[in-house]
Amino acid sequence: MAKAAMIPIENGNLLAGLRQFLRQVLARPEIAAVLVPCQLPMKAMVMPTLVSDPERLSAANPLAPAFPLNAARMVSRLTRKEAGGTIVAVLRACEIRAFIELVKLRQARWEELIIVGIDCLGAYTNKDFFRIGDEDVEAFTGRFVQSALDGRDGEVDGVVLAPACQVCTDPIPNGADLVIGLLGADTGRALPVAAATEKGASLLEQLDLPGGKMPEAREAAMTDWVNRRRSKREAMGEATRSLTDSLEKLTAYLATCINCYNCRVACPVCYCRECVFVTDVFDHEPCQYLGWAGRKGAVKMPTDTVFYHLTRLAHMGTACVGCGQCANACPNDIPLAELFITASAPLQEAFDYHPGRSLDEKPPLAEFREEEFEEVVGIK
Amino acid sequence: MKKKIGKALVVGAGIAGIRSALDLAEIGYGVVLIDKAEHIGGVLSQLDYQFPTNHCGMCRMLPLVERDAGSQFCLRKGLFHENIEILLGTRVTAVAGEPGRFTVSLRTRPTWVDPQRCTGCGACVPVCPVEVPDAFNAGLGRRKAIYLPVPHQVPNAYRIDPAACTRCGACVDACPCGAIALSTAERKDFRILVVDDEPIVRQSLESWLEDEGFAVDTAASAPEALEALEKSEYQLMLSDIKMAGMDGVELLRQAKTACPDLAVVLMTAYATVETAVEAMKIGALDYLVKPFDPETLVPMVMRVHEELLAAKDRQVEVGAIVLAGGTDYFDPRQQAGNPYGYGRLPAVVTSLEFERIVSGSGPTTGRLVRPHDGRPIRKIAWLQCVGSRDIQCGADFCSSICCMYAVKEAMLAREKGAGEVEAAIFYMDMRCFGKPFQRYRDRAEAEGVRFERGRIHSLAPAPGTADPTLRFVALDGTVREETFDLVVLAVGQRPARGAAELAQMVDLPLNPWGFLATSPLSAVRTERPGIVAGGSFAGLRDIGESVIFASAAANEASRVLHGTGGSLAAIEEAATEFRDVSRQPPEVLVAVCTCGDRILSQNDRRQWIDRLERDPVVQETIFIDRVCTAEGWQALADAITARRPNRVLIGACHPYVFTRRLRELGRATRLHPALMDVVDLLGPRMAASGENAEAVSSSGDLPRRLAMAVARLQGTCLPQVEATPVSRQALVVGGGIAGMTAALAIADCGYPVDLVEAGDRLGGNLRWIGHTLDGHDLNALLAEAIARVGKHPKITVHANTRVRGAFGEVGHFYSTLEAADGAAQTLEHGVVVLATGGGEAAASAYGFGSHPAIVTQKGFQEALAEGRFDPAALNTVVMIQCVGSREEPRNFCSRVCCPTTLKQALALKRDNPEATVVVLYRDLMTYGFAETWFTRARRAGVIFVAYRLDDKPKVEVAGPDRPVTVTVTDAVLGRPLTVAADAVVLATGIAPGLPADLAAAYGATLDQDGFLAEAESKWRPVDSLREGVFACGLALGPRNVEESVATAGAAAQRALRILERERLPAAHLTAVVRHSLCARCGRCIEACPYEARRLDEELDRVLVNPAMCQGCGACEAVCPNGAAVLNGLSMPQVFGMLDQALA
Repeated sequence: MAKAAMIPIENGNLLAGLRQFLRQVLARPEIAAVLVPCQLPMKAMVMPTLVSDPERLSAANPLAPAFPLNAARMVSRLTRKEAGGTIVAVLRACEIRAFIELVKLRQARWEELIIVGIDCLGAYTNKDFFRIGDEDVEAFTGRFVQSALDGRDGEVDGVVLAPACQVCTDPIPNGADLVIGLLGADTGRALPVAAATEKGASLLEQLDLPGGKMPEAREAAMTDWVNRRRSKREAMGEATRSLTDSLEKLTAYLATCINCYNCRVACPVCYCRECVFVTDVFDHEPCQYLGWAGRKGAVKMPTDTVFYHLTRLAHMGTACVGCGQCANACPNDIPLAELFITASAPLQEAFDYHPGRSLDEKPPLAEFREEEFEEVVGIK
Repeated sequence: MKKKIGKALVVGAGIAGIRSALDLAEIGYGVVLIDKAEHIGGVLSQLDYQFPTNHCGMCRMLPLVERDAGSQFCLRKGLFHENIEILLGTRVTAVAGEPGRFTVSLRTRPTWVDPQRCTGCGACVPVCPVEVPDAFNAGLGRRKAIYLPVPHQVPNAYRIDPAACTRCGACVDACPCGAIALSTAERKDFRILVVDDEPIVRQSLESWLEDEGFAVDTAASAPEALEALEKSEYQLMLSDIKMAGMDGVELLRQAKTACPDLAVVLMTAYATVETAVEAMKIGALDYLVKPFDPETLVPMVMRVHEELLAAKDRQVEVGAIVLAGGTDYFDPRQQAGNPYGYGRLPAVVTSLEFERIVSGSGPTTGRLVRPHDGRPIRKIAWLQCVGSRDIQCGADFCSSICCMYAVKEAMLAREKGAGEVEAAIFYMDMRCFGKPFQRYRDRAEAEGVRFERGRIHSLAPAPGTADPTLRFVALDGTVREETFDLVVLAVGQRPARGAAELAQMVDLPLNPWGFLATSPLSAVRTERPGIVAGGSFAGLRDIGESVIFASAAANEASRVLHGTGGSLAAIEEAATEFRDVSRQPPEVLVAVCTCGDRILSQNDRRQWIDRLERDPVVQETIFIDRVCTAEGWQALADAITARRPNRVLIGACHPYVFTRRLRELGRATRLHPALMDVVDLLGPRMAASGENAEAVSSSGDLPRRLAMAVARLQGTCLPQVEATPVSRQALVVGGGIAGMTAALAIADCGYPVDLVEAGDRLGGNLRWIGHTLDGHDLNALLAEAIARVGKHPKITVHANTRVRGAFGEVGHFYSTLEAADGAAQTLEHGVVVLATGGGEAAASAYGFGSHPAIVTQKGFQEALAEGRFDPAALNTVVMIQCVGSREEPRNFCSRVCCPTTLKQALALKRDNPEATVVVLYRDLMTYGFAETWFTRARRAGVIFVAYRLDDKPKVEVAGPDRPVTVTVTDAVLGRPLTVAADAVVLATGIAPGLPADLAAAYGATLDQDGFLAEAESKWRPVDSLREGVFACGLALGPRNVEESVATAGAAAQRALRILERERLPAAHLTAVVRHSLCARCGRCIEACPYEARRLDEELDRVLVNPAMCQGCGACEAVCPNGAAVLNGLSMPQVFGMLDQALA
């Protein structure tokens, strides 16, 4: 199955090559549409766009360091029920992981979907991306890719990757049906594309692409990449833990939360139709507020902010894919990505559960093992 | 719930009695459940851990259907069910009548503590001056004369042990509730006349008895006595026999004529004992042999006194009687010479004592230290078969339970000792014959428990210490000595004390082993219709089997009750029309019982009101003095009627006891009882660690408890869950003896049954087995069953038919039957019983198939029947046990092969006494009474040679006309042994015949060996996890005929719970789905242990089957946004309670 091919690149123009590749994909009669980040005509931004007209793929830009939202949520909308046609979605690694979690949670289906993943070079926060102002997005993308592949970690004009991306150790789109490699590739001539699933392989076979394989240098490049990120990740974890290792500190960390719930809307795996915090469960009686104020002397409004974040940590800790969209969405700049990544790591470690790693791994809460954590539950 | 007029008496409230009682109560019969002990639960109240889970789990026996009719909490603590009346300290004194109409006299021992008033505060304990060994801790600890029979019972009222109590009265003064009334007051009214011509006797008796509070008069001669009797009334006369003039016997005669109610005890010298015995025939109650001391006399008089007090015996009318009196345990002191020094060496304990040592409520609070010197226990030996398999002890039987409890105890010890404990089991055969037992035993061995084969003859203390040292011959022949910190005697079972008397009272014989004799092949029916045996009363069974036999007994009782008209509905009051308060905002009336000033004083009231009425839903807080009295209760009812609250919270004591009364209150006030709650204000306080009890019980805690209850109650709504309709007929799959028995058991209770059999004839394995080890004719049983099934108007037999497909849930399954000719039909039924049986496993070892002399057990029987083998020509027969059994992948014991081997070996020895029969075995599994035939086989000269799993026998075939050679290494001698055999019989065991897709069609699952995976091997042994699906016979696991028949009765009884109802009502605590919030992620479906939830693709909704939901709340726990709600324990309610707990 390990079928691979090469996507030709002319004059080092990666985007042009990728667009051509996607046009070939869309030309297949069994493919109804391609979901891919496209440059907006009216603003310097890219957004996931469902394209059925090959012409419109000339705006496709899956390499721009823009990450306005985790597209797994959009794929969920497209696949939740039978759609009547196969879609090809170009996703980042963390989007694929989130998507796999959503499939497990029955919020998405993979039946009419082929995922194309590209080695992820990371992205800026929304606010930083907007700083490119009027510069042509396509040109900026070129400078960004160069910086990323040259070992400058995507820094352009002093703008650096979003915190979550800086510490991301999983940029490889494992789990995709087709993987397009950037790491270790001779990007001036061609990009390797490899099928990781039967579905990917059969699509690849239909495309008129020269044969090839993943470059030998890829393995070393990936290791190097991950190692650099890992030390950063550990440092970030250390710093975040020291800021949040008591309830008092955590309260301070989250002090500016206004219960806007943007983070939960942005979170790709927070899948509830309605968050429990906006249901009547938290419709406290007015007398309760008075009671709390009476008991403590003063009570900050809105209440339940720390409770809300703790609940989200409890609910989503095992599923957090570390995409950082929570932080991106926070109007008050609470470093939520750092908190979630730091708090989730030991939890996921404890259950040996890596969200998005495999469809076959059940979420820890959905599985009961009698002989597990005996020291915690006290049952032997 | 629906109540029937039929009523049953269940004698014995151990695990089997509870099971029988619940089984009868759940189908609407009234039950009187009695136990001579002061607690329910029998021996299980002392056992904290049961294998194979090493947990408890008794609560899984609680009703699953119409849960609200009973309590839903730890069954070891207590049992409350609408239809069950429990009488403790009670025994049967007389039984008269016939099936359907028994009159039973019951006598309840007075406890002198009013359980209605006793709050269990324990103030009486420190002041009691008497200390006696504590039976609950198997004598390892001590208790006072006023005591709690078990520490965890609910409600837990103290009792006085009359035998130990000195009537000092200290407890009466100490009791803050006035709950204790020593019966010395009554003794003053108990007048005794002492008649003796010796002044010294008169004087000493008078003084002894007056010291005990009795009123005593004396008379020096018979005429004087008659005169006294004429003048005043006496209850008891103690008279000498040999007196000048008129003797005691004549006095007795005349006195009884004058005062027929007078109790007379004769005092006699040794020489006239015969006279005294004769005198009992003319009305003497008892006699005392002179000389006697107060220790003999006083208890006897007290007993007479109590018996007379109890003359007000209660009479109950019942239609059937279940005898579930359990068993007792062997006392090792009764062994000749007490070779293990039990009672002399403190480090030699019985298995029950060991259970108490590892129990958290035991004398060492569960620490693994020796109770007598506190030394850590690091090395333990278990000695098996103490009082079992021992003809000298009168036990020509295997107790069936000791091997497994010893393995469990060894595992527990290893676990408690964090791997530092050495555990060794000295055994003859490890009888791990239950379905998961062999694997459990193997796990124990893998985890380091040592298994040593051999019977320990005796033990002695190590020189200079009291530590027991065992001397034994190891398998390699060397004599070894080993010293242990503790030796645990795995004591066997004995018929329950009093079982013989009970049997005599109901005019039933005992079997040769001293247990109640039951009808052949039934084990629950007795010679007397309407009186049945449950649990281990008639045999030797572990928990799971006892539960099966208890349900089977309940089924027999149900059939008797049904057959004698007991199923008619009792007249019920018209259903109350409750006020509709669903649209009102909650208004809670809080009623606090002040219990005199015990709960709160007048001064505290303001504070309580302020605290409670901080929550505006509290309409008012009222205080009632003793709400438990009639006046108090009326005051409460009046307050509810006047103020019309829509929720009522009562702060009092004994909340469990209130359940029934709340229902009455609901009828009186038209407020639904589900909208009322009771908070225990006198129960034990929760003490946070480090906090002392004093601080916790201070006043702040109680109003807080009430406030928490208010928070919960205000969120309580009446569930709008619809009851599930039931298709009131059953499908039984499989027409062997189990299937036929189950079909008859259901049909006899009035419900139609479709019986499906794949073959062309009913009968299954009974068509070839012939007779049982104990000689019962199975053909007769089979013929009778087939005849009864054939003519039963409620049973439809579908022969040559298979179940092709099925779907549905409890109450309405739909099964498609396909006949051999292809004709198909679909049946609707409420329950299904899988009785698909099994057969002899195929042989694939020991040269099977390569020589006609190598046969399976079934093949051997057929060959003998067909004349292919002539017993006279069989000079040497080798029988090999455990062929492909008790090792992976078929790592379970089939139970029937060892008895079959004995049956065949004994038959062979009968027909050809000269024949050599060699049985090659690993552990001979003749559990229970089958042991007797093992003894007989050895006596008949059958040779038994043990082999090891890692050194199996070798079978060599030289040629078709030459004998087969079998070589085995004798595990005891360690030498190879070669036998030339005319026949080699392979015991291959049982292979199940339950197709996985059939089980799956009904939502049931198979275990790794292909038998039905029961919901719980001990507590729900015939249920699948999926409600409405049951199994019996070999589909459930290997069993002999008698046991299979019992599982069929049990499965039928479990099925009847459902068929008895037109609709399966939902309980108040039932899960519901808030569809608008639900993301259909399905986590709740996976989390539901009862498989009560499913995603309906068409509706795009998660649905809950309220009949299957047990209100456990797992769904609510996994649902991230409160779309899964447990009615009555919703998130806002729990948050509210937490909030109040912290306020």
